[in-house]
Amino acid sequence: STSSLLSAEKDESTASKDSATKVASKSQEGTAETPKQKLLDIIGNMKVEVSYRSKLQQLKTREMKKQATNELEGPESEGSMLRKTTGDTQRGRPLNPELVEAASAVASSLPLNKKQTESELLAQLRRHEETTDKQKKGGTINIRNVISEMAVKRQSPAQRAVRISNRISLELDEDGQRIRPRRLSPQSLESRRYFLSFFFFVYRSLKVGKRLNIFTKASTETEETLKTVSSPTIWDVELSKEIAAVTAQPPRNGFEEMIQWTKEGILWEFPIDNEVGMEDDAEFHEHIFLEKHLEPFPKQGPIRHFMELVICGLSKNPYLSVKQKVEHIEWFQKYFEEKKELLQEI
Amino acid sequence: PCTRQVRSYYVDWRMLRDVKRRKLAYEYADERLRINAIRKNAILPKELQEVADKEIAELPRDSCPVRIRNRCVLTSRPRGVKRRWRLSRIVFRHFADHAQMSGIQRAMW
Repeated sequence: STSSLLSAEKDESTASKDSATKVASKSQEGTAETPKQKLLDIIGNMKVEVSYRSKLQQLKTREMKKQATNELEGPESEGSMLRKTTGDTQRGRPLNPELVEAASAVASSLPLNKKQTESELLAQLRRHEETTDKQKKGGTINIRNVISEMAVKRQSPAQRAVRISNRISLELDEDGQRIRPRRLSPQSLESRRYFLSFFFFVYRSLKVGKRLNIFTKASTETEETLKTVSSPTIWDVELSKEIAAVTAQPPRNGFEEMIQWTKEGILWEFPIDNEVGMEDDAEFHEHIFLEKHLEPFPKQGPIRHFMELVICGLSKNPYLSVKQKVEHIEWFQKYFEEKKELLQEI
Repeated sequence: PCTRQVRSYYVDWRMLRDVKRRKLAYEYADERLRINAIRKNAILPKELQEVADKEIAELPRDSCPVRIRNRCVLTSRPRGVKRRWRLSRIVFRHFADHAQMSGIQRAMW
């Protein structure tokens, strides 16, 4: 159920804004209508509720949270209040009182075991809050995403050499034969799989669970500010260049040589793209219909005639970009403005 | 370690001057084109064209493309340069005979 919740979270986060406004209006309507209608809406839109809550959290500050804690002491059923207090002691933030009221009303309306349903609903709400908290802070970890983003690990040649040297041992046995490294291929694969699954479990479990708040987060902010200030230091650049020079091994075969050349730009990328480097985002009509740039020119006279010819020529020119054509026309504009006095004498 | 010939200087001063001319011609190419468009015109008044004449004469002399000479890239020879390879005939022959020119073969028919 947690994974489904997580997937639901992901879907909502994309459409959170639209749904949030919807739910806001719905919730406003709900309070005016009978509580049953409101509950049915809330049950029907359990998905959307999460985004509404997240939006509320964004809008409301900690002061509102304190108000909510005060509100909790208002007139409400004892059972729910007890649960709320226990919830408060467990979680750092209390649930939205409206939602808690809704949960209690839903439980009362349903014919089943009321207290059980209410507790279940509250537990689900708490889980939703937890996931929204996580999303706000850093984003939840989906194993699927992790695996999809996992690329094949590239071994550097040094590592490769080490592994090869590990394979070929230069020790000699008693009989004078070389000790071969044992290759238990099926076992090694399984062990690798177990290792991977264990790795994912540990990776996942590290972030699951309540935060202990032992380590403060103030250090990360200072790191970020420092980074922004001192990011392009010369020493960092030099270090990175050194590392690149050290790790850059000469190409072992023709393919690696071609890869290197492609990176440097000596070799083109195949399949050949005729429009490499040409990023003309302008549409064809911007190239051809250049009359709008002719507005500052006088409408009669030889200059207009001349500029119309210029524009005719530019519209047929496929080699210039729109910017260049506009610059061309603007140059002429400047030139004729400078020579205005001369022109008026004529 | 580079196995090819390393050239960090231009072959001679004439080549350097030619390089400067090419750079300037590239920089002033647009302006020259536009002023010439005003000059070689039947529509605009002649006074304007005379003014344009004077303006283009004021531009640096090395900015006109006519002054560029297609020299050999390796020896800076001004004559006997094949345009496709930018090499003089002597260098071209040298490389072709050592099979260092791709697709070039001694003609025989």
